[in-house]
This record gives sequence, structure tokens and C-alpha cells, in this order.
Amino acid sequence: MSCEVMNKERVGVINPIFTCQPCGAQFASIGIKDCIGLVHGGQGCVMFVRLLFSQHFKESFELASTSVHEEGAVFGALNRVETGVDVLLMRYPHLKVIPIISTCSTEIIGDDIDGVVIKLNEGLLQEKYADREVHLIPIHSPSFVGSMVSGYDVAVHDFVKYFSKKDKPNLKINLITGWVNPGDVTALKHLLAEMQIDATVLFEIENFDSPVMPDGNHVSHGNTTIEDLIGTADAQGTIALNRYEGGKAAKFLQKRWDVPAIIGPTPIGIRNTDTFLQNLKTMTGKPIPESLVRERGLAIDALTDLTHLFLADKKVAIYGNADLVIGLAEFCLDLEMKPMVLLLGDDNSAYKDDPRIKALQENVDYDMQIIMNADFWELENRIKNEGLELDLILGHSKGRFISIDYNIPMLRVGFPTYDRAGLHRYPVVGYAGATWLAEQMANTLFADMEYKKNKEWILNVW
Amino acid sequence: MPYHEFECSTCIPERKKHAVIKGPGEDLTSALPEGYLNTIPGSITERGCAYCGAKHVIGTPMKDVIHLSHGPVGCTYDTWQTKRYISDNDNFQLKYTYASDMKEKHIVFGAEKMLKQNIIEAFKAFPEIKRMTLYQTCASALIGDDINAVAQEVMDEMPEVDIFVCNSPGFRGPSQSGGHHTINIAWIKDKVGTIEPKITGDYVINYVGEYNIQGDEVIMQDYFKRMGIQVLSTFTGNGSYDDLRAMHGAHLNVLECARSAEYICNELRVRYGIPRLDIDGFGFEPLAQSLRKVGLFFGIEDRAQKIIEEETARWKPELDWYKERLMGKKVCLWPGGSKLWHWAHVIHEEMGLDVVSVYTKFGHQQDMEKGIARCEEGALAIDDPNELESVEAMLKLKPDIIFTGKRPGEVAKKIRVPYLNAHAYHNGPYKGYEGWVRFARDIYNAIYSPIHQLSFLDISKDEIPTNQGFATQQMLSDTTLPEEVVSSREMRQYTGNYDCIPDYLNKTYPYMQKTPASEN
Repeated sequence: MSCEVMNKERVGVINPIFTCQPCGAQFASIGIKDCIGLVHGGQGCVMFVRLLFSQHFKESFELASTSVHEEGAVFGALNRVETGVDVLLMRYPHLKVIPIISTCSTEIIGDDIDGVVIKLNEGLLQEKYADREVHLIPIHSPSFVGSMVSGYDVAVHDFVKYFSKKDKPNLKINLITGWVNPGDVTALKHLLAEMQIDATVLFEIENFDSPVMPDGNHVSHGNTTIEDLIGTADAQGTIALNRYEGGKAAKFLQKRWDVPAIIGPTPIGIRNTDTFLQNLKTMTGKPIPESLVRERGLAIDALTDLTHLFLADKKVAIYGNADLVIGLAEFCLDLEMKPMVLLLGDDNSAYKDDPRIKALQENVDYDMQIIMNADFWELENRIKNEGLELDLILGHSKGRFISIDYNIPMLRVGFPTYDRAGLHRYPVVGYAGATWLAEQMANTLFADMEYKKNKEWILNVW
Repeated sequence: MPYHEFECSTCIPERKKHAVIKGPGEDLTSALPEGYLNTIPGSITERGCAYCGAKHVIGTPMKDVIHLSHGPVGCTYDTWQTKRYISDNDNFQLKYTYASDMKEKHIVFGAEKMLKQNIIEAFKAFPEIKRMTLYQTCASALIGDDINAVAQEVMDEMPEVDIFVCNSPGFRGPSQSGGHHTINIAWIKDKVGTIEPKITGDYVINYVGEYNIQGDEVIMQDYFKRMGIQVLSTFTGNGSYDDLRAMHGAHLNVLECARSAEYICNELRVRYGIPRLDIDGFGFEPLAQSLRKVGLFFGIEDRAQKIIEEETARWKPELDWYKERLMGKKVCLWPGGSKLWHWAHVIHEEMGLDVVSVYTKFGHQQDMEKGIARCEEGALAIDDPNELESVEAMLKLKPDIIFTGKRPGEVAKKIRVPYLNAHAYHNGPYKGYEGWVRFARDIYNAIYSPIHQLSFLDISKDEIPTNQGFATQQMLSDTTLPEEVVSSREMRQYTGNYDCIPDYLNKTYPYMQKTPASEN
């Protein structure tokens, strides 16, 4: 009985759990107000990422491409960055921030995006846009390194590094959420409000969910301002909820500006939310109010209705972003469930030293497998050829065919969840998220019991 | 036909030649927008890349193939589960995708060895699949991996497998169109003629430029089979790798999407003398003409005529029900390439819609020629549209509906223009007689959506009716219709199933036996 940590043995990927770094950098850039990312590479690197975001959020987001073609690939394509910046500034008068996001092609040909930024700052911006505030930020996100998770981490770090500047210390904290949904940000801001804590949230993405209004066009966009980013240096502390999605920026703020950082845990489940609130209390000196005691009580009440009767011993596979997967696994254990396989997508060598993974290795009392650098075949092959039996799958929509083909109920969690309606509106973090997750897991199992006529009568008297 | 200058694009004057308005009485000699030129960086184009054009549009609909992209994982991820090309082998090509997962060390030291390992692993994971397509990406092209050599090495070691290599990196050409061309030419050059065709009928065609979106290919195959025609291969929707290697055995290439697949037809004509016949599966009349042309070619016009009569009798009353209710509605016809001209004329003729704008993301000038010739006077034609121009056009033209892609559809939603997915369809198939009625049904449902109607109300300013608890589509569509239309007993709404494809797949066909030689 043990928890085994292993790497995928195959060299290739059969059905990827993750996409590549530029997607993560683009996801970070849409969180900033008056910002349009300019991706330096082929057009597909932007077109498909925009499609992916629009699939998940059912909204459109603005991202631009330098449209690199053969001649650029041969002779260098920095002239296309220069034109791209100029065209964006001419046509989007409100635009202030343009991250220049590299891709595999432009990293391989060695285009110097840092150099072109200096050139533009000294040339075009002085000559043509002297009266405008414009920030060009090179972000190196070659697709052949890491994954969309590290791309996001790099981009958050680069934005914070570029803007943060010490002025006067204030009582705010920085809350770096990681790769979350609008519903999560709402839930986190609710907890902060109850604690009466003023925070800079990176990133303010509640407006990713934007309305159809009587007065015309509303573009979905994040709301984190340049001032927010500058002010991160003055905060009394940083809490980065996710170790691998924003942790790098928290460490930077600590090292460069002496802003103390607490990294993790991802506040999924009651226990991790408790820890988050304790960390907030420690950092700010603010007490945890009665209202949150009550909110926690409501969640515990809801979970108690479900755990021993329905969730106990249910075997689960979980895949997705590492912080999310670990948080979900921890919560499942608290719910008496048995996470059997955790699939962490990319080849980040830091995962194996994660204290949360070490804790699982030391304490899990049944056979659990944690697979690094995993793809979907690692899961499907275990089910199809190695006898893995599961009651539930937790993960994003790209794994939907495993659930469909092997008749295993699945709750969509993470990014992207395009094959279910509106999930980006619901939180998985905080007490509200704990309740939502447990109840959705239960309802997913209930529907499956009825569909398969598997003790469906048990619900007669619940 | 003056060029149209968008206000949002006055600062990039080269865009001016990419849009025209079709003036009264004007034809194409007045002006034609520029086409298939490199996109202006930073303009927020909707174009994709040549890798996507080769792999995602044409390669992957091939159903019994391991589709492996040699590069970092993103290209593979992006082109997986983002289209609706189904197949009759449980959608293997939709469910499984493969990336060689190129990392930094491979960029530095080369990735041919790991590519070989990848290929072997993939075949091992799916022992029942013996065919593979390898796609080059930007990264593998730039480091100069010899993918063909690796593929040959594996084929030498594993004689039971066959591998096709498509070298179409993302940076090749202005749009996905470059990839269409590359894969067409590579397939005929490397694969056609490498297997002997199994001829089972008297009349043998390749069905080309058809991608089986939501079952288009299945519905069209039904007509061919009812005429006693053997569809030797489909390039590529629901198509089989080995069938496509035998394309040289057909008597006729029946071409649907000329934008993406005319290249292979032209080569089949040059190399094997197989004639090309352009057809159109969209719309009753174009389809009837197409079936007649195919019938004429083989001398079986009577069979075509019988199908046309049966299908028209079955479906025309349903199409007409929608036509009465769609008359005069304004459409922005904003697809990728060929639907611009496949649809422009026929949605006007057969559904009563007015095309107020056409655009093309990756079409060439000849697509625009055909599209502009077929759309209404006053229509705005845009080449390589970008985000701001699209918004400006929609605000100006105030269309009742827009046919475009998923993401631009989200932009339209905010301007309160309903959208239908022109690439993947809403509830297709849209080809064939039944499919065309389904298209009309989807348009009707979108335009007369009660929720869409509510989106125009401003509850803070407008007088809100307080005596209405609901609306139906017909309460919205039928108010201004003449009584004889509303109460017509001939016309009816669509009567098919949610999924109409299984019924087509389960049919049997009278003429499919090859005539014995003695009867010839």
C-alpha cells in the first residue's frame, strides 16, 4: 500500500492534457486592463488560443499576431513586431500595455524581442506616441519549454517585474490567484471582504463573464490596472494561491521588494480554505469573523450529508494543472474518497519535491499513482488494458472521451470546460467552492447510478 | 464598385484595397478586393496557419490514421476537438491525437531519434491502426529534421505500416490556404497509385473536397449510392487512408470545396486523365444540377432525376415553410473560403435571405470573384477581415444573422446579432436535401429566438409589456405573414430526427452490384 510517483515512460504524447507556454502568457495578458498581447509567431498560435478561450468562456478576447511567414522565418521577423505594435497603437487608442509573447518559431530563429522593445521605446514610441503611456513587455514563452502552466507563471512574473515599484507601504495584500475562473475570483474577493482585507487581485477577471447590453459592443476583458501592478511592491504581503501559477511572481516581490510571500496552498476544500484564512490573518492581523465561521458551518453541513453515505471509498482519477489536481486530491481524501491516479501534465521537475506530494507519499494508505509529464493515454491505457476501475473522473473537457467511452462519470473541473454550460461562473475555491464541488460530484454520481441502474433506489429515502 | 475604407482602418491604408461595395449594375471588372496577401501584423486577423490548413482541415478527417504532429505539444492540442468531422468508425480521428512533444533539448540536438521512437510507440498503443500521417510544424521545420527519412526508416523496419509525411509548417504562406495546397500535392505525389483500387461498381468516383462536417459526406454518399455509383474514396471526410491511395482508379473526380482541394483534382487529371466535375451539395437547385451532371457523365440521368424528384417532394414543403419566414432577412456571410460562393446565391434564391456582406479569411481572389458575382447589390465584400472591421461592418449593416466561426460569433452576440457556425454548423449536416432544410431551420430558430428578441429591450428606459409570459418563434415570425401562408397545409416545419445520420448509414442500395461482364 503506497503512493507511487512516476514519470510517463513514453517519449511522445497521446492526447495532451496541456497546451504550450504561449497560451499561458496570453491567458495572463487578457487579465490586464488596456492590454492586448502581441504574439510573435505564426497566426495559428493566436487564432487557436482565442478559440480555446472562447470555447471555455463563451466570450471573445482580443489578442494579436505578428503573422510571421517564410521570409521572417529565414531573415528574421522583428520588423513585424515593430509594425504590429504600431498598428495596435494606431487602432486601439486606449491601449497601454503590449506584452510581446514569443513562440517556438521566433525563439528558434533567435529574434531578439528584448532588443526590439528597446528600439521601439527609443524610436517609434518617442517619435509617434510621445504623449501616450505605452508599455512594451517582452515575454519569453517558447513552446518547447514547460507548458501553458509555466507560460502563465512566467508571464505573471514578467508583468509584476516590469511594473512593480516601491512608493509608500500600504496595508493592502497581493493575492495572486493562479489560473482560475471568474467564479473563483468572486469567491476569493468575498472571503477578503468578510475579513475586511484590501487586496490587489492578480488578475481581476470577473469581467471575463461579460453581459449582452442594450448599448452595443462589450468586449470581455480583465480589469487589473497598471496602478495595481505598480502597487504590488508596496503591499504588506503576497499570497500566491498556486505554487506553479504565480508563485514565481510572489518570490520575485519578496526578493526584490521585501514583500513577504506565502505560496499555497490552493484553497480547495475546507482544510485548505482554513489555511488560507489563517494565512490572511497572520499576514494582516485581521481576525476571522463570525460570518465566515457560519459560512464554513454551512459547507460542513452540506458535506456531512454526502461523505459516508455516498462519497466514501469512491475511486477517482484527477488530471489537469498541478495545483488544481493536488488541491482536488487533498479534498477528496477529506471526503473519504480514494484518488487512485493523479495526472500532472508537464515535465516540471519541481513537482516531485512538492511538500504536498511528499505528504501523500508518506500518508496514503492504499495504492495511489502520481504520474508526472502525463498525457491522457496514461489514464486510458490503465482503464483499457490494466484493469483500473474508477467511480469518477475529475478534469477538464479534453478528457471527455475517456468518460464517454468507458462509462465513467466525470465532473468537469479546470480549464477548459467547454462541453458543459457555464462552469466558469462557479468557484472551486473557498467554502463555497468546497460545497459546489462535493455536491456536483454527488449529483454526477447520482445521475450515473440512475442511468446504469446501480442502487438507484438508495436515493428514495435520502 | 468602389473600394470601401473602414473608419477603423484609415491608419492602415493598404487595407483599403481589401474591401469593396458591389454597386448597382456593377460587375467584377470594376474592382476586386486584394486577396491571399500577407496579413498586416497586429491587425487582429482571424486567419490561422498553414499547419492548421494541412492537418486540421484536410489531414485529420481521414478516419483510420494516427495523426502525429512533430513539434511542441501546442499545435496538436489546438487542432484536437475543435472541429466536427465525424466518421463511421466511432470517430477515431476525433478522439485521438499525437504530438512528438518536442522539448528544448530536441531543438538543440535534433529530434529525429525521438520522432522515430514516437512513431513506434503510437503504433504500439493502437495495434489495430497501421497508417499514420506525420505533420511538420514550425519548430521541426526550422531545426531541419528530415521527417521523410525517419518515416522511410520505420516503414522499412515495419513493412505492415504506411506513413504519409506532410511538410506544412505554420509560417508557410499568408493563411491556412497554403497548407491545403501542400497536403494536396504531397498526397498525390507520395501516396496516390501505391495501392490497387477495389472496383465494385460500374461508375466510380472520388468525392473530393468534402470533410463530413456533422455527416455531410454520409448524406451525399446516399445519393451517389442510390445512383449506383461507387465512391472509391472521399478526400478526406470519413475517408480511409488506403482508399485514398487508390484514387487513381476512379472514372471521375467530383469536387465539392474547390478552395481546399482543386489542386489534387487538377493533378489527378494531369497524371491519370481523370476528369474533374465541380459540384455543389448546398441547396436544392445546385444539388439537383450537380446530380444531373454526374448522371449525365455516366449516362444515368434517369437515376439522378428519380432521386431529385423523390427528395424534392419529401423536403421542398419544409424548405418553403422556412423560406416564407426568412424572406428579406439580412445576412453577413462570413465563412472561411468556399462557402462564400457556395451559399451566396442559393440562400437568396431558396431561402429568401439577402446577403449584405461576404468575407473570406483564407480565400483567394477567385473565391471573391465568385462570391461577389453571386451576392446582392450593395453588399460589402471583405478580404482577410479583422476584429475592428467586422464590428464596424456589423454595426453599420445591422444584419439579422451572421454565418461565421465560433469566436467571431461571440463578438456578434454582444452586438446582438445571432450567429450560426459556418464551419462546424449548429445542428447539421447542412448538405443534401435534408441538410439544407436543417440549415434553414437553424437560421429560423436563431433569427426568431424569443431570448434574442428580449436582448433589444432596455428595462431602464423602455416600456416593458407586463401581460406577456412567453413568446414562441412563430408568434414572432408569423405576425406579418399572409393568412394563406400561415394556414398552408402544404408547407411544414422540419420533421427529421435530431441525429439524421444513422438512418442514412443503415440503408441498402439497389444498383450497387457491379454489372457482370456478360451484361456490358
